[in-house]
Amino acid sequence: MVEEKIVADQSSARPVALITGASRGIGQSSAVAMAEAGFDIVGFSQSGDSGNSETCRLVNLAGGAYVTHKVNVAVESDVRSAFRSLLTANGRRLHAVVVSAGITSDGLAATMSADRFDSVIAVNLRGTFLVCREAIKAMRKTGGAIVLLSSTSGVSGQAGQVNYSASKGGVNAMTQALAKEVAGLGIRVNAVAPGFTETDMFRRMDVKARNGLIQHIPLQRVAKPEEVARAVRFLATEESSYITGQILPVDGGLTA
Amino acid sequence: MVQRTAQYERAVHRYELNAAVRRSIIGGLDLPVDPDLVDDDQPLFGRGLELDSLDTLEIVSLMEEDFGVYITDEQRFVFGSVNKLVDFAEASQPALDGA
Ligand SMILES: NC(=O)c1ccc[n+]([C@@H]2O[C@H](COP(=O)([O-])OP(=O)(O)OC[C@H]3O[C@@H](n4cnc5c(N)ncnc54)[C@H](OP(=O)(O)O)[C@@H]3O)[C@@H](O)[C@H]2O)c1
Repeated sequence: MVEEKIVADQSSARPVALITGASRGIGQSSAVAMAEAGFDIVGFSQSGDSGNSETCRLVNLAGGAYVTHKVNVAVESDVRSAFRSLLTANGRRLHAVVVSAGITSDGLAATMSADRFDSVIAVNLRGTFLVCREAIKAMRKTGGAIVLLSSTSGVSGQAGQVNYSASKGGVNAMTQALAKEVAGLGIRVNAVAPGFTETDMFRRMDVKARNGLIQHIPLQRVAKPEEVARAVRFLATEESSYITGQILPVDGGLTA
Repeated sequence: MVQRTAQYERAVHRYELNAAVRRSIIGGLDLPVDPDLVDDDQPLFGRGLELDSLDTLEIVSLMEEDFGVYITDEQRFVFGSVNKLVDFAEASQPALDGA
């Protein structure tokens, strides 16, 4: 079983970072960036990717061990049991948690079904809460850092994305509330708010809409996931030891 | 000699579970109290052991880590006493129930 790899490696002095949505996109790049910074990685994704996945290969190349769990972050029992097996099997301290699992399901508000609205809130907001709740307990004695993935849509709102914008606005407020609640435990909580970033999520957008967007970005291009991941790494490590409750835009100047 | 009936075994099991929960909580919270001297019906908060909200986080975490019992604020009543905590633990985690 893949999980056993890290069990066998209990003696490792490398810190451990948990990353949700690690199978692709910003989560994958964050896993690599954290491995480069000396972390071993535990990845959560819906597909569970695998010990042979691209994320695993890239993390290993960067010198880190990679373990993956199949978790739907919107399902409470999934999150709870993944944390339980992670903590009991692993026996190692969790130093950082990056919550990158997220979805879009765009549509105009007037015709958006309640189910479509709920599905995005369930993954992006409830899922973030469920992961944070377990992370706090796991890090309660040692402290650590939590980094949430927000979006510029959560700051200024995006037409056609009422569900997504609301979920990310919620993530921003959660970042600030949680930062205050757990600061006394030595846990810092921050968010990164990317603008348009070249991942599957962005590639799913209509080509005309994508091209139209670029002219509104002062830097005249979308972000590479590695550029977002560097901000994630900054907030997830001691480099940002006096920063908590902040939302860091990585958006090429879009919200400037 | 005491006859080892099912009820007797059950009572012993419950006695041991209460003791294990007391040890876990007192040890985990690092309280200057002998776990064997804590009354199983004594409130954990307020006048009882005088615990605070950070202690709640610790108890909730310890119950999950040591006994596999998951507590949220819907089960606030469990902080009423060690007995209430163990009643809930047995009800929610059949493996702990000696019956
Ligand atoms: N790309 C952008 O332009 C952009 C802009 C602003 C903010 N963001 C935010 O950045 C984060 C990452 O986005 P991305 O572009 O990297 O997305 P992506 O390429 O579509 O990848 C999404 C990741 O989330 C996982 N995931 C989705 N639903 C899940 C669920 N219910 N449970 C567990 N894992 C789930 C996916 O796992 P599977 O592979 O198993 O499906 C995948 O690993 C998201 O929160 C997104 O909202 C992205």
